[in-house]
Amino acid sequence: MHQFARTATAVAAATLALASTAALAQDIVQKDSAWYTDAQARIQEMMARQPNTNKAKNVILFIADGNGVGTNYATRLFEGQKMGKLGEEHVLSYESFPNLALVKTYNINAQTPDSAPTGGAMNTGVKQVFNTINLNENAIHEDCASENGNKLTTFSEMVSEAGKAVGIVSTARITHATPAAVYAKTANRNWEGEAPDGCVDIATQLIDAMKAGTVDLAMGGGARYFAPEDAGTMDGGKGSRPDGRDLIKEAQDAGFQYAYDTGSAERLNLDGTTPILALFEGSHMKYEHDRSDEDEPSLADMTKMAIEQLSKNEDGYYLEVEAGRIDHASHDGNLYRTVTDGVAFAEAVALADELTDDGDTLIIVTADHEHAIAFNGYCGRGSPITGLCYDVAKGQVKHSDEPLTGSDGKPYTVAGFLNGAGAVLTEQADGAYFGTRPVVTEEGATDPDYLQQALIPMSSETHSGEDVAVYAKGPWAHLFDGTIEQNYIFHVMNYAVSAE
Amino acid sequence: MDRRLFLAGLASIAVPSAVAAAEVVRLRDLYNKDLSFSDLATTMEGELITVSGFMAPPLKAESRFFVLTTRPMAVCPFCESEAEWPNDILAVYTKRLLKVVPFNVPLLARGKLELGAVKDEETGFVSRVRIVDATYERG
Ligand SMILES: [Zn+2]
Repeated sequence: MHQFARTATAVAAATLALASTAALAQDIVQKDSAWYTDAQARIQEMMARQPNTNKAKNVILFIADGNGVGTNYATRLFEGQKMGKLGEEHVLSYESFPNLALVKTYNINAQTPDSAPTGGAMNTGVKQVFNTINLNENAIHEDCASENGNKLTTFSEMVSEAGKAVGIVSTARITHATPAAVYAKTANRNWEGEAPDGCVDIATQLIDAMKAGTVDLAMGGGARYFAPEDAGTMDGGKGSRPDGRDLIKEAQDAGFQYAYDTGSAERLNLDGTTPILALFEGSHMKYEHDRSDEDEPSLADMTKMAIEQLSKNEDGYYLEVEAGRIDHASHDGNLYRTVTDGVAFAEAVALADELTDDGDTLIIVTADHEHAIAFNGYCGRGSPITGLCYDVAKGQVKHSDEPLTGSDGKPYTVAGFLNGAGAVLTEQADGAYFGTRPVVTEEGATDPDYLQQALIPMSSETHSGEDVAVYAKGPWAHLFDGTIEQNYIFHVMNYAVSAE
Repeated sequence: MDRRLFLAGLASIAVPSAVAAAEVVRLRDLYNKDLSFSDLATTMEGELITVSGFMAPPLKAESRFFVLTTRPMAVCPFCESEAEWPNDILAVYTKRLLKVVPFNVPLLARGKLELGAVKDEETGFVSRVRIVDATYERG
């Protein structure tokens, strides 16, 4: 990357000398600085850019759950620092994509969104109601009857009708909000394995969609909602369906392939002829930090299998890939697992980019919403993103080794959360909440199990309504620009696959 | 520099004396990544150990049993339709009736280490690792 930047710089400098002699009559003393020449190279790169107006044969929508601009910043620094860089200068795989917009994520009735209507907005082209999936603005949360007449048409239904294959990959339960947004319509995102009379639970909706041919591949966790209550499942867990249906058996009887661990996933036939259901955990798949390859595949592994299978379809495919547990780690207030799952996400995107052709594949990378994460100052360069904020060093570049302290005399970490389990106010014996900031050390803060300090005590840290970014490359990626509504993402996908 | 030394001094004074004397084991050190018992766990079976962690909200009031977790048991109302136990937990059977400690306050629990699956009669909770005859204090 850096090598490339240097070569490009030399070319750009030469071009620039010709193009702008008049404007540059004055000698610019900083013109040989790498900051200056790298930025000049970027100008040339931007001017050389041509819009890609091909018809998109394939669309891959990557969603990192809970990975807003702030969370993504933390992952950028973490991955960079893991590679031995200071971190701030690092570029995540998708951050080098040519097109970008900021996304407004609110729901019809919620300033702070959840993953159900946000995933639904991306899959139907309209904003939706808090905690519901793929119903219109008349839906009432938890009201089964309100599903009637209010169901929306999904992108998966549209493109499968047009001959495309559809795949879903997630590290969360495959019935969880973001993956469900591809195929389910429900008045309650929690109806994963059971629903009131007159409504259909999400797991059943997935099997119905696979039988109908609107979903061809589904990989993730959540086996429990596909097996009868108390029946053992192949991943080692137990079923939890009160209706006693064995949807895994129904899928196998319908001729679909089934995988439940790394070994059985490796035995899958990926020639595109037989639909695939893979459920690697009873509930969510493991955090990347806790996962072992022998047990279950990584997000990148699953993405690779999905592309291999779906790309056999001559009319192309739509694939949604979710890193579902970035969100869960932040709910826990545990930044370490947030960013390690974030790095796994960036690796999955890089692999998908490598396996596909920009000429016919639109890759979109975004998040559904942000979290209540926040960052302190004034840290010097290279302050460890999960660790302490160190003072800026005189004489450059890396931080001094002196941790900055609050007025309470104690060091503080670079990142924190506004609320959650890491709250410094804890419940006292008399029920009152009171506290002082615990002393935090570098070793303590960078421990994988550390919870960043938070303000408001809550059992689970919350989402926030702050913007997320969308990064894109491939056909019609240039339709992403400016500040957009989240439901616009669907319209770019739809335009790209329909373009003449 | 002075300040950090001072803080380190404060921290060691603050740690409860009885528990501090013993070496503190972290919950995650009792398990391997595949959730089999670690060498540390098997060598310490039957011995008194001190483990750091957090008290999950108890399943039952007036009990002598709680679950120690590696990180505070955060429960996201939107993410989970039912309570999820993490894989790496330790059942703690206490000497005295439980005094509940908030879920996010660090604890040190000390007791005799037992390995192997046992079902709790009162709650039906199945544990693979336990400490029994245990005491605990804020860590
Ligand atoms: Zn969430």
